Amino acid sequence: MLNALDIEGDSPLHRMPVRGKLVLLFSAAVGLFVVSDLRLLVPALALSAWLLLSTGIGTGQAFRRTRFVLFTVLLVAAANYVFVSPHEAAVVFCRLAALVLLAAAVTATTGISAFMDEIARLLTPLERYGFVRAADVSLAVGLVIRFVPEILSRYRDIAEAHRARGLPVRPLTTLVPLIILTLKDADTIAMAIDARGFRRH
Amino acid sequence: MDIVFTAATVRYAGRVALHPLDLALSERRIGIVGLNGSGKTTMARLINGLVKPTEGSVTVDGLDTVADEKAARGKTGFIFQNPQHQMILPILAEDIAFGLKNRGLAKAEIAERTEAILSRFNIAYLARRRVHELSGGETQLAAIASVLVTGPDLLILDEPTNQLDLKNRALIERTVASLPEQVIVITHDLALIEGFDRVLVFHEGRLAADSRPAEAIGAYRKIAAC
Repeated sequence: MLNALDIEGDSPLHRMPVRGKLVLLFSAAVGLFVVSDLRLLVPALALSAWLLLSTGIGTGQAFRRTRFVLFTVLLVAAANYVFVSPHEAAVVFCRLAALVLLAAAVTATTGISAFMDEIARLLTPLERYGFVRAADVSLAVGLVIRFVPEILSRYRDIAEAHRARGLPVRPLTTLVPLIILTLKDADTIAMAIDARGFRRH
Repeated sequence: MDIVFTAATVRYAGRVALHPLDLALSERRIGIVGLNGSGKTTMARLINGLVKPTEGSVTVDGLDTVADEKAARGKTGFIFQNPQHQMILPILAEDIAFGLKNRGLAKAEIAERTEAILSRFNIAYLARRRVHELSGGETQLAAIASVLVTGPDLLILDEPTNQLDLKNRALIERTVASLPEQVIVITHDLALIEGFDRVLVFHEGRLAADSRPAEAIGAYRKIAAC
């Protein structure tokens, strides 16, 4: 969700430290899964929506960013409606949608760089015991977020090449070249990380 | 800055990618040309330690690229054939700042130097743009900015005008010509290196010619015609 989607602004969420936002998101996730009362979940959903819109993102952009996940939430709720009960469907929808909107609000107000710094800080205690290299983990998170659009774009190119050659776009024939090309790119990217001196050790 | 190759040899799995090379480079503008697989990229990568010599040595400003790897690498910047691969963070300004952050600079200085380098290349308007959405010319400029912000004395560009249209090619030519840093360019774009101080021609892993651009390009044309 943090694919360079932060927007500049001065909302309360923008001013909140990254750690505060992550704690808020984590607490909200736990809280929303403990509560099953719609009298609490509906206001929680409204509050999440308000928080997202308070970032200055605009309704259209907010919808575009969350529509795919919200559609999935809707499918899950529909399944609950059919197999469990309408009440359970409403609970599931409010719970998950509130979480999605809150995550989107955190995303919209947190730069990737700040997010990576916070990950590195949070992992520093583990580094002291030799479990992880905090900077490497945060760099890995940054890389994943950075290169997801590249991989999607490459997938589109491979699919297009199939169509241009009159071949059917099948998972096996697209994923194999995608994986090979991605691994090839990974070597160059690793070299670029070294060339730019991003790793301190 | 002096770059010295002393019998530098590179072998990959028994195959010689670069035959023993003895060379000293100190000119401000150096071009490297050669057919595909001639060893020119391997030679350039030796300079900032991305490739280690199997035998012999390479020094940059007196620093051995193996023994003093980190210090030597700090003196050289490298722009890859596909500069998209070296943009590590999704937003340009953050990517540029990340290089400085890793050098432990204070926040205010990072912001100041990021802004200054973006202005230097007239790309301040791209600061908040996603790097994967930049055009070919913008990506090249952004990559040059992200490397030069850390202050290397030497910039190595691997085929910087590859896949660029005529307008962006001219932009990169002007940019390279205006850089105060020492520059080494690996290229197939012969017009780019016409005004350079020295041009090296590689062929089958050996230095085949080393002279002023006109003579070196002539030698390269002869090799390519064979």
